[in-house]
Amino acid sequence: MDGFNLPLLLALTAGGAVLVWRRANTLTWLLFSWAALWAFFKFGFTVPMPQSVATIYLGITTLALVCYASASRERLAEVTSPIVRLIREPRYRLPLAALLVALPALAAYNVHADMNVPLEAPGFGREVHPSPPATMEVHGETLDMATADNPYIHLHEDDPAAYEEHLENGRRVYYENCFWCHGDGMGGDGMFAHGLNPVPSNFNDSGTLPILQASFVHWRIALGAPGLPAGGTPWDSAMPAWEKFLTTEEMWDVNLFIYDFNGFEPRALGQH
Amino acid sequence: MARHGISITAAHHPPAACSAAPRAVAAAVAALLATAPLMAQVDLGTEEQRAAGKVVYDKYCGQCHGDDGDGNGYATLRVKPKPRDFTTGKYKFRTTPNGMLPTDDDLRRAIEVGLPYTSMPGWPNLTSAEIDNVIYYIKSFSPDFENPDRYGEPIDIPPPLESTEESISRGRVVYEEQGCASCHGEVGRGDGPSAPTLVNDKGDPIKIADLTQRWTYRGGPTKEDIYRTFSTGLNGTPMPSYADSLEVEDRQHLVNYVYSLGDGDDPGYGTLITAVHAEEPIDLQNGEALDALFADAPMTRFPLVGQISEPGRNFYPSVTSIEAQAVYNRDEIAFRVRWNDLRADTTGRNSPSIDVPMWDEDNGIGGDAEDGAEDAADSGDFFGDFGGEEAPAAAEDDFFGGGGDDDFFGGGDDGDDFFGGGGGGDDFFGGGDAGSGGAEFSDAVALQFPASLAPEDTPQLKPYFLFGDSQNPVDLWFVNLTYGVADTFRGRGSDQIEPTEADIVEAVTSYDQGEWTVTYKRRRSSRAGVSFAEQQYTPIAFSVWDGFNRERGNKRALSSWFYVYTEPSVQQAATLPVLRAAFLVLAIELLVVFLVHRRARQRAAGADTAADAVAAAGAPAV
Repeated sequence: MDGFNLPLLLALTAGGAVLVWRRANTLTWLLFSWAALWAFFKFGFTVPMPQSVATIYLGITTLALVCYASASRERLAEVTSPIVRLIREPRYRLPLAALLVALPALAAYNVHADMNVPLEAPGFGREVHPSPPATMEVHGETLDMATADNPYIHLHEDDPAAYEEHLENGRRVYYENCFWCHGDGMGGDGMFAHGLNPVPSNFNDSGTLPILQASFVHWRIALGAPGLPAGGTPWDSAMPAWEKFLTTEEMWDVNLFIYDFNGFEPRALGQH
Repeated sequence: MARHGISITAAHHPPAACSAAPRAVAAAVAALLATAPLMAQVDLGTEEQRAAGKVVYDKYCGQCHGDDGDGNGYATLRVKPKPRDFTTGKYKFRTTPNGMLPTDDDLRRAIEVGLPYTSMPGWPNLTSAEIDNVIYYIKSFSPDFENPDRYGEPIDIPPPLESTEESISRGRVVYEEQGCASCHGEVGRGDGPSAPTLVNDKGDPIKIADLTQRWTYRGGPTKEDIYRTFSTGLNGTPMPSYADSLEVEDRQHLVNYVYSLGDGDDPGYGTLITAVHAEEPIDLQNGEALDALFADAPMTRFPLVGQISEPGRNFYPSVTSIEAQAVYNRDEIAFRVRWNDLRADTTGRNSPSIDVPMWDEDNGIGGDAEDGAEDAADSGDFFGDFGGEEAPAAAEDDFFGGGGDDDFFGGGDDGDDFFGGGGGGDDFFGGGDAGSGGAEFSDAVALQFPASLAPEDTPQLKPYFLFGDSQNPVDLWFVNLTYGVADTFRGRGSDQIEPTEADIVEAVTSYDQGEWTVTYKRRRSSRAGVSFAEQQYTPIAFSVWDGFNRERGNKRALSSWFYVYTEPSVQQAATLPVLRAAFLVLAIELLVVFLVHRRARQRAAGADTAADAVAAAGAPAV
């Protein structure tokens, strides 16, 4: 049930059960169905549905309910008769008056609320992991993105002591340069992260480092925001082009370190 | 000697034991009275727990606090305030009396919640057991934790008094009597006369709390937190404990006063300025009229962070947020920005294009030794800058205290040299400028706009937020607060900033009780730069330079891109549409009622009996 608002679904189900128990009439069922769908579209998902999509769904649903209600003369009479009684019978005079006032008030409130939605800055889509170029140039050296790998990764097997040294150097580089934005624990929540838009990458996220090749991460480190294609909105990102500050070895070392710290491995070469 | 473990700390006991007789007696009495509870507090964990704590510490803590707990990790050089040195046993945020060790819960809180607006984050990912273990390990760095005399009972924190006007004004009296303003400033903006000179007991300059921004309080924003700070003091800093000098009630009144200085626990950062329309002319010289104009304009607070993407990196900017408003009339638009600064630096120079060395503060340490040496030689902080563009006489002035004894006694220059690691020096909050009465660099501020708006087919396109790029330049409305006039620059990247004369931007500035206010004005339409049409979203970004923190050029506090929205001058009032909707619905209702009645009447007339009509209209539904 991930992605749904569970309490709301339970409440709606309970509402339905009450109607069954009370043997509600058709009109009540129709009104309840419409309200339940409205609430479901508006509050039913943890990630809100776009207003326009919700409106389309609700429109279609309304149409379907009207079709249902007017499918036969008998059902139409069944649906409209409570309304007619409400309007005609003197004992309902007070509820009718209340309804006559309440509906316009609701409409007025809705219009007022619509006109007072707080302004928001325009938002734009952004590719989080844009396609990398076929080759990249770092410190004057050309790398083939498809085949380039971390030159120290093999030390893990071949020379664990040397590997540890590279990791330690990566740790130094990270805590001298990266944690202000990417965070002490690499959650993308460093002390400057709240002032940046887009927010820095979260390396704890299993949807980030593990799906990227080491060469992709190297590309992002070495060329930073200025090296992004337009889809990645390079003008907004604060990621520096680290080749300005770091040696090639330091960049590969920090690349090793961020994978190691989070217990992830880069996506293997040629794996798509 | 791998770690300052238990075996080493035991060696510290003998000196304590051979202190004078009266102390021994006192200790004996204390022991009689309180041995059991005090001894119960000495809990250093088991060997296994400390070992487990070390694993956590080495992964998450050592890079700042040092693998040996001495506060000397990889990040130490580039963060302010400095990471805690665990070997001293001194902790600022405690529930225990002044000078005492913190409780385990105090340490736990620091680890779980962190210290806002410092490099110490909260660690919600650590389990409770991991935190327990890391606390045992941290305690093993200092022998003090083995000494029962260093433990104190947590203080009582009474529930806060109701925040009445009497309570607040009594708190204000206490604030004045205790001299809080000498550091924290008249209205609490952290701008007291002593603020620039404050150091901790390690000699590191420290930034005093800005009482008006509760969200930046290191020890937490609640009234209980504030009361705790008054009552326990912050060990190792100039913030004393008032437990002995102030009655509980006065401390509670003081809490209410301090609390009243802030406007919220949360900064409420926004993303948009709404520029409101005014009929009146915008006259920068008429302060009252100007204030009246801005009184109705909504104020938005934006976060500022250090510029760390380009050379001249600023790891610890002084200013962490800025507030902004905008007003426009038929021809002109005005922006007003405000931020807090502990001192008005209005004697030096500043410009967005001043060159800052690659490793400004970090010469010789952390970065390449070579870089450091180079910077120190050509434009390091201290000698370099003077040797460079300034006349030698100026250098002598500053260094030898030509500006008067001020310089010398201020300790500023000494501070710089002394704490400055190598060459360039470490000049956070003070350094070379503390107490000298005149900074080398002045305070400054800039608004940044794209030189032209994005084309309609790519509305997301903006210039690079760091002073633009070669294809998409930005315009900077820069004010050096020494002169208080606006200069315009065009930026095509951080190293491509040139003055322009295309648009005339005017500005007025003022500094009052720790707050800078700068008001800009320009014609709305421009041929060279961006025009502010009605209902237009225009990107805007901010830069603030604190001269006291030696910020200049690229070493600055900055924001990412936000927007200013020029509200339509003719606002559609809500009344008419609201009434229209209400009457429309009412009309439909009445129509339905009318139709139902008419139909019923027709049926009654048409049908043979009324009973038929009732049967047709009112058939039971259930």
